[in-house]
Amino acid sequence: MQLFNTIISDTRQLIADWSDQQAGGPLPVRKFEAADHVHWPAAGNRDIVFQSDTGVELGNPKDKSVAFLAWTDDAGQVHDNRITLVGPDIGEIAESSVPFGKVVLIHGSGFTEDNCYERFREMDLCRFDVSLKGYMMRAVSQYMREWSRISREAVKNGLNFEVLGSAMLRKLKEYDYIKAAEIIFVTASPDHVRQLGPMADRFMQYINAMTKMHQEMDFDCDSCEYQNVCDEAEELRSMREKLMDKKESSE
Amino acid sequence: MTANEKAPVIIAVCGKGGVGKTSISALLTRMLLKDSTKRILAIDADPAIGLSYPLGVPVHKTVDEIRNDFIADVEKGMTGSKEELIRRLDYEMLDAMTETENLAFLAIGRPEGDGCYCQVNSLLRDIIKAIARNFDIVVIDGEAGVEQIDRRVMDMVTHLFLVSDASARGRNVAATIDRVAQNKPGLKKTGIFFNRLQGAEEMDALTAQAPLSIIGWMAENALIRELDRDGKPFPDVGDGRIPFPEEAVYRFLKQ
Repeated sequence: MQLFNTIISDTRQLIADWSDQQAGGPLPVRKFEAADHVHWPAAGNRDIVFQSDTGVELGNPKDKSVAFLAWTDDAGQVHDNRITLVGPDIGEIAESSVPFGKVVLIHGSGFTEDNCYERFREMDLCRFDVSLKGYMMRAVSQYMREWSRISREAVKNGLNFEVLGSAMLRKLKEYDYIKAAEIIFVTASPDHVRQLGPMADRFMQYINAMTKMHQEMDFDCDSCEYQNVCDEAEELRSMREKLMDKKESSE
Repeated sequence: MTANEKAPVIIAVCGKGGVGKTSISALLTRMLLKDSTKRILAIDADPAIGLSYPLGVPVHKTVDEIRNDFIADVEKGMTGSKEELIRRLDYEMLDAMTETENLAFLAIGRPEGDGCYCQVNSLLRDIIKAIARNFDIVVIDGEAGVEQIDRRVMDMVTHLFLVSDASARGRNVAATIDRVAQNKPGLKKTGIFFNRLQGAEEMDALTAQAPLSIIGWMAENALIRELDRDGKPFPDVGDGRIPFPEEAVYRFLKQ
């Protein structure tokens, strides 16, 4: 499935442009290799990091945040286990709250029109299973927003994007259909996060079109607001046709 | 659950309309806030959102507004899986929570209505319960009457703090709430607090007739009246200007 390949390559181009601009600058684009094991205690039952205990806040609802996850069956599109950071790391952030961007890229096998919608839901929700002491995350998939708080104690003890990225990638790799995964964090500035917007918007249009097909089973294309999206994406058209066939054979 | 993650004490302040539940909730909250090691969640379940004034905390969004925005989005066709909906509501609830040093404040706004959105109401109640687990003590300023006692969010209440004035109607409403609440599985203690009394003699007279265990009492207070009128925050309990029977209240909470 190559539905998101353009989005993935556009995201890569953006990071490459930033790398060129930032070379030797104050906010280098850094790359880490995800650790095989995450040595950080899990959070307990109390999962809220309170404002008064917060060291750093990422993507507070008052700030800009963009988070999305795209997949491909093209192995060459994803650098397995890579964590890319554009902007300061958690311990380097001077402000109490910064805008936040997060892009997860997946290379998977066996994605078809029949299973990709359910698989997307699984992969998207698995971020909520990341449990790290002093880290709290809330997200709204429909708005591609992600908001995290990292406690002062966790900042002091060295929680950084390498740990966070490793924990997220390890969690994703628990699904056997995920062959490679990488993650990109952006904390540089509101403008950097905003530049992820066009890719995120296109991604969400595809997801919304899939959601509509699966949940509403409404195939009146003339009245559907996602008609243009389906028309330009062959795999969405094919998904729609399969679902229509299924519906007709059940009637 | 570890030793320092024990279940919270959840106090519901209930009673007839106009007996001063909001003032008592505010004083109770301010008393509990004196222990800076304790995390307190104050939930304003009164549709008038009165508790924010005496506590001096701003409200930028209520649970009712979250529910309405959510329903409007669903009606526009913006749907998702149940898990996604829970995550969205959880995000919005945390955003709606006002936080100061060791106090968090959540305003419910208009109470949930009947209709086809019972699943949203049910999810919101579950999220409130999950949020409450992060605190040591939760104070709920209840709406007037007995209706909310039947709502599921009250299942988690451990201490029912009934407020009444000297009137027979106030005492009857308190007794009715107590009766209705007795089937709540988590309830450990119930008591009645008399507010706006004329003095100790009136309290003595009420003691003889009180159908419930008495937590304590307060006399009518001119400063509360003035602050209420102007919508200003109450002073810290302990500064003496509003005499709140702290020891008696602690006894009720600890027994």
